Amino acid sequence: MVRLPYLTALTTLFSYGLLFAFGQLRDFFRKIIDWSKSTSKGLKGYAPICLGLEDFYTRRLYLRIQDCFSRPIASAPDAWIDVVERYSNDNNKTLHRTSNTTKCLNLGSYNYLGFAAADEYCTPRVIESLKKYSSSTCSIRVDGGTTDLHNELEELLARFVGKPAAITFGMGYVTNSAIIPILIGKGGLIISDSLNHNSIVNGARGSGAAVRVFQHNNPSHLEEVLRELIAEGQPRTHRPWKKIIVIVEGIYSMEGELCQLPEIISVCKKYKAYTYLDEAHSIGAVGKTGRGVCELLGVDPADVDIMMGTFTKSFGSCGGYIAASKEIIRYLKYSCPAHLYATSMSPPAVQQVISAIKVILGEDGSSRGAQKLAHIRENSNFFRSELQKMGFEVLGDSDSPVMPIMLYNPAKIPAFSRECLKQNVAIVTVAFPATPLLLARARICISAAHSREDLIKGLEVISKVGDLVGIKYFPAEPPQHQEQGHKKLE
Amino acid sequence: MAKLYVQTVPPPDLNKNTEWFMYPGVWSTYILILFFSWLLVLSVFGSTPGMAWTVVNLCHFAITYYFFHWKKGTPFAEDQGIYNNLTWWEQMDNGKQLTRNRKFLTVVPVVLYLIALHTTDYQHSMLFLNTLAVAILVVAKFPNMHKVRIFGING
Repeated sequence: MVRLPYLTALTTLFSYGLLFAFGQLRDFFRKIIDWSKSTSKGLKGYAPICLGLEDFYTRRLYLRIQDCFSRPIASAPDAWIDVVERYSNDNNKTLHRTSNTTKCLNLGSYNYLGFAAADEYCTPRVIESLKKYSSSTCSIRVDGGTTDLHNELEELLARFVGKPAAITFGMGYVTNSAIIPILIGKGGLIISDSLNHNSIVNGARGSGAAVRVFQHNNPSHLEEVLRELIAEGQPRTHRPWKKIIVIVEGIYSMEGELCQLPEIISVCKKYKAYTYLDEAHSIGAVGKTGRGVCELLGVDPADVDIMMGTFTKSFGSCGGYIAASKEIIRYLKYSCPAHLYATSMSPPAVQQVISAIKVILGEDGSSRGAQKLAHIRENSNFFRSELQKMGFEVLGDSDSPVMPIMLYNPAKIPAFSRECLKQNVAIVTVAFPATPLLLARARICISAAHSREDLIKGLEVISKVGDLVGIKYFPAEPPQHQEQGHKKLE
Repeated sequence: MAKLYVQTVPPPDLNKNTEWFMYPGVWSTYILILFFSWLLVLSVFGSTPGMAWTVVNLCHFAITYYFFHWKKGTPFAEDQGIYNNLTWWEQMDNGKQLTRNRKFLTVVPVVLYLIALHTTDYQHSMLFLNTLAVAILVVAKFPNMHKVRIFGING
């Protein structure tokens, strides 16, 4: 549910119309100019690589602001990060790297618990495992790629998440897109949230099952859709569905909102559908002991059939996992192509996850895990409330470390991004097609490694740039009340 | 002036080529663009209002026919070409006919036609051109013309 001023909706549509018209005009002139050149090309009879207008968006809209995306970095993605400077000689069509870097405040990396930089417990153990096991197992899991580290990780992970067993893969995206086709096939039904991640969409398309979508985070619409589809049955034969899986995410990375898990689980139990929870952004970042959205919302992990997550966000590593009952994991181990044919996780990456989980659970003998979790919760709530007081439109629930600031207008995307970079704050802006066309946003990811001073500096810069760019859509709260409040406390 | 806010729930339309049409403010933007282009034509060419409306009507016909009923597919590659045989009009609202958006888009050329005729005092030359334009547009938007390709053109 987004609220935007009416004038903004009109101007955003008009801007996109203008950009589209200019793009078409340039394409038209390009076709005329290339008419003379094309007759001398030697590729007669071959089909063109891009059919019709497929690449129109990339060529005419994305390339104009290309310097706001894919910025190369030159250091670990800690609270402060070195961003490589780039320049372009032909209006952003090609970008060249220089050897200069600028140190910027990092508000874009998924570094929720601060494990991305060197950590006093994790890094020595990772270096030891690198020396002992080397950087790659050079084998698939079933051949010679399962070290005792992998087994230890799977047991530890199952204990951490609260399920009987777990299985890990080398890549988070692949975990979704390779597992979903194994769990369900033709004759089955997948009902997924309308704003699910691309990996889930790809996995669902690749499975061959029928895919339907329900309105984002709306358990009553899910119930409506389930009732209609169960009554109708399979598309032409109207036979009952072989299996129904409902796929939701814990925290939606573009909205920052938490899933309404208890209601969705009760709807699924009523209609006997399986549930698949993708906790990529919530595992390790929310919940009192970091166990994810189930702990935060008070849902028993045994009620969710399959829990999936990644190690890239809170654990500072790479890879993904699935946690489910022992039978499902055993079935996945002998049928999933990502387990049978893909190289196993790199051993230092496995050790990083093991050490990170031990720190979170407090099993390393210190209370750093609990401190980190409290820190990220305080930081997120502080940052979000300050931004809302300044008048920005910030999405997301409280306690969620992901906060998108709405920009809407396509011209404000590069303006915001470049102005923030000039003032040494690195921000990630997201536009179409990751978000709906009109709802472009800048997404901020708070980390436990950010100190209060870092956040205050970030807030100052964002406030100044917000005034310059004009994205304070809501009236700001006057600061006098805050001063009175402070005076009263003193 | 008090800021008018609109609320919207993003609709579950998976086709990113058409889902932008379901947001509030689209209809007003469309009408405002037509009105401002009429003012532009009037000021640049210095013609009579009726001539300007005819020009707007014909340009509107050319542009909307090309983009709504001729161009097929989507301007990005993420959907892997599942809409490559459908024009924008056929992709709208997931192929459902007679929705509010479709009715609005059918009414706009007719209203433009009436305004153009009225302001040119029904002169024969303008009448002919305007009638041709609106006839083609309205016929193209009939529900029976869904996925119909006459003589295989644009198939």
